[in-house]
Amino acid sequence: MIPAKKNHSAFVRTDLLDRVGIYLVGAVLVVIGDFVSDEFLTVTNLLSVLNAVALLGIVATGMAFVTYSGNMADLSMPSIMAFSGIICVSALPLGFTVALTAGILAGLLIGAMNGFIVGRFNANPILWTLAVTFFMEGFMRFAWSNNQVYPDIEPGTAGFKLIGLFRMSIGSVPLVVVVMVLLFIAGHFVIVHTRFGIESKLVGSSKPAARTTGIDVSRVILLDFLVAAFCASIAGIFLTSMNKLGVFYLGKGYDFKAVTAVVIGGMTLRGGRGTMPGVLGGVLVIGLLTNIMTFMGIGAFEQNIVTGGVFIAVVGLHQRQLCRRGKDYA
Amino acid sequence: MPESDTIGIALKMHGVSKRYQGTLAVDRVDFEAYAGEVHVLMGENGAGKSTLMKILAGSFNDYIGSIVIGQKEVLLHSPAKARECGVGMIYQELSVARPISIAENLLVGRLPYRYGFWLDKKAMYRQSQQLLHKVGLDIDPWKTIGEISQHEAQLVEIARILGVNPCILVMDEPTSALSRREVQCLFARMRQLKNRGITILYISHHLPEVFEIADRITIMRDGRIVATKSIHEVTPPMLVQMMVGKTLEKPVVSPTRKIGEPVLKVKHLTRNGFFSNVSFHACKGEILGIAGLTGAGRTDIARSLCGLAPYDRGTVELEGQRLRRQSYSDAIKHGLMYLSEDRKIDGLFLRLSIKQNLISATLQRNTHCGLYTANHEAQITSDLIEKLGIVASSVSQEVSNLSGGNQQKVLLGKWIAADPRVLILDEPTRGVDVKARVTIHRVVRDLVEEGRTVLLISSDLPELVGLSDRVIVLHNGRLAGEMNKTQLSEESVLLAMNGEVV
Ligand SMILES: Nc1ncnc2c1ncn2[C@@H]1O[C@H](COP(=O)(O)OP(=O)(O)OP(=O)(O)O)[C@@H](O)[C@H]1O
Ligand SMILES: [Mg+2]
Repeated sequence: MIPAKKNHSAFVRTDLLDRVGIYLVGAVLVVIGDFVSDEFLTVTNLLSVLNAVALLGIVATGMAFVTYSGNMADLSMPSIMAFSGIICVSALPLGFTVALTAGILAGLLIGAMNGFIVGRFNANPILWTLAVTFFMEGFMRFAWSNNQVYPDIEPGTAGFKLIGLFRMSIGSVPLVVVVMVLLFIAGHFVIVHTRFGIESKLVGSSKPAARTTGIDVSRVILLDFLVAAFCASIAGIFLTSMNKLGVFYLGKGYDFKAVTAVVIGGMTLRGGRGTMPGVLGGVLVIGLLTNIMTFMGIGAFEQNIVTGGVFIAVVGLHQRQLCRRGKDYA
Repeated sequence: MPESDTIGIALKMHGVSKRYQGTLAVDRVDFEAYAGEVHVLMGENGAGKSTLMKILAGSFNDYIGSIVIGQKEVLLHSPAKARECGVGMIYQELSVARPISIAENLLVGRLPYRYGFWLDKKAMYRQSQQLLHKVGLDIDPWKTIGEISQHEAQLVEIARILGVNPCILVMDEPTSALSRREVQCLFARMRQLKNRGITILYISHHLPEVFEIADRITIMRDGRIVATKSIHEVTPPMLVQMMVGKTLEKPVVSPTRKIGEPVLKVKHLTRNGFFSNVSFHACKGEILGIAGLTGAGRTDIARSLCGLAPYDRGTVELEGQRLRRQSYSDAIKHGLMYLSEDRKIDGLFLRLSIKQNLISATLQRNTHCGLYTANHEAQITSDLIEKLGIVASSVSQEVSNLSGGNQQKVLLGKWIAADPRVLILDEPTRGVDVKARVTIHRVVRDLVEEGRTVLLISSDLPELVGLSDRVIVLHNGRLAGEMNKTQLSEESVLLAMNGEVV
């Protein structure tokens, strides 16, 4: 009585338009960009777009897990970025590898705390991570007496290696871009093919139902926040390397941009919806938009207005779609 | 008895249709209801009853056809408009908001203000208590909906609608979560309303109830109206015949099964304030019924013993192994599973597809080293859809778009797919039609015939008595009796449920 379906996992399928929609937007932007400037459609420029969004892409990958599992957003990602960076720089005297590990572990520590509190005690993720951000900023200013931390950048030292990290490339592709792409692929694989990924979707769709399905909801949420923290600390270390210093305000603004990328990429804030390729599309669209606006000579503040506007438009559109399908009370 | 020439027609629908994406749920329906009658709508799951009533409640702005209420032709394109025209609706799914107090839910949209500004808490308290009294509830209106039980929430919902004094009252399966006494109380209330000239449209799958309350009956099938009859013209078999299109096979009384060793042993289970010192066992190949009034602790015990809720003392053993406290995943690993009482709140993933729901409980078994393999999905889904007779446009249809009864079948399917050893069914046939009820009963019998164990919690006495091999009865959180097949009768269970000694 029900038409038979092809033989692939029920958890892979999404509406075709949902999946390619954001890339259509991207294509339109490319055409517009071509009109705006002759330099737009050059390999150098497109590579620079990628380079510019690489950090955002890494943060968005992590953010996607939090959104996907129904926890809206991890607003503490910027402070995780800053904290990882500071710890990494401070640990440089112990050697490069130790410093990197320490930075990432520091980030995971905050992630574990977030995940535990939100997963176990059902704290509101937005409020909780906002509070953590506030606390971490105070803590970092206090512990490092409101100072920036500089690595030792004599050639041959660990600090020198750290500084070089951001500018390193593999062939002609920058290392950050490679890392971003690898993380996206890994994220996609996890979401589609692992039990953890599918459980995240179920938790994101309905926590009470996930619980009565025998899913350890607290554990799944803990892991989601750990993934977010992991990505944030990698991005934080790259950002520190780029700025050649560690400081408490380092990741500011990445939280909101990452959420925007995730949401315009088709992961709704209600959780359980969307795909990793969509999120990548969202990141690229933001990159292209910024790039084109720069070509048009639009300043940074105005760019923020546009990005914010896009976010509002997309969220509004989602809401309207839901209302129209009669799901507003479902 | 309403006579069409003496009492006016309160509602007239002409050529009404409603199409969802893909399904024509209501197809050119002509429908009339008199003032002061209880008009029952019956039909199979997915026949379009809820949709027809939602049209009346103003849920859709894209229906076709004309609707006349009183003498006026009206366009019911929004809930506000419908309310204005005097239509009050109690939805199949609860629509009271859970984190909000009962009082606020009851008085939503017409909260009493003092000087047009201050919320008058005293008046709120008084008014909501009056409303609660109308449905025979005696609870504190400042409690939130989340704090009260499901049947109480259902009564709050009914009280809320009564508060707006509708002239057409629509009730979509209002009694599926109520106990007999509450149903009686509700019926008494309905008769009062009827005598005041209010039209009540009532959807139910429960035949005895229908014969108790109905003046006239309309049968729907595949979105169309098959017949409208006075209650005196019909008999239960006739109704079934009209709904299903054929007579139902009599449920075969299975030959006595071989019942094996005890599988599940519960000893001295106590949760302070909920139930105390409950001990029982269930055997391989056995259906163990658990009877009790609402509030007797049936669901609480079930949730505690499978680990969804804590308990204070006692042990739960499955095949000789003690289960960890408050760890549902541990219970599932051992094969003890629980079908939730309320499919909407914690049973189904409403926003996911039928297929995703059906296989959601099989993840654990199909994961190796963290990687999930999907080979089994197609097979399992098509088998279950076939076996349970789930009616839908495709396997990827969102579960929230299914009719209530079909959602219930998906919920049952989800646990059958998980291959349970002991399955606790909490109200498994809530909201399903007569045909699906027979199907579900057959499926449950099949489960135990394969050597599994079923714990059956049901407020539907004929179901409980007919299906169970043995019944334990709870009264106020304590074990009040146990009956085996030979002692089992509706009367004996009913007596024990009410605390009389057997
Ligand atoms: N939101 C929706 N989107 C798409 N199809 C829907 C939606 N709601 C209901 N349907 C379909 O419309 C048909 C009629 O559904 P309806 O809920 O009216 O049935 P019903 O008679 O109330 O059944 P039940 O006794 O199971 O509650 C069904 O086939 C159902 O799958
Ligand atoms: Mg219905």
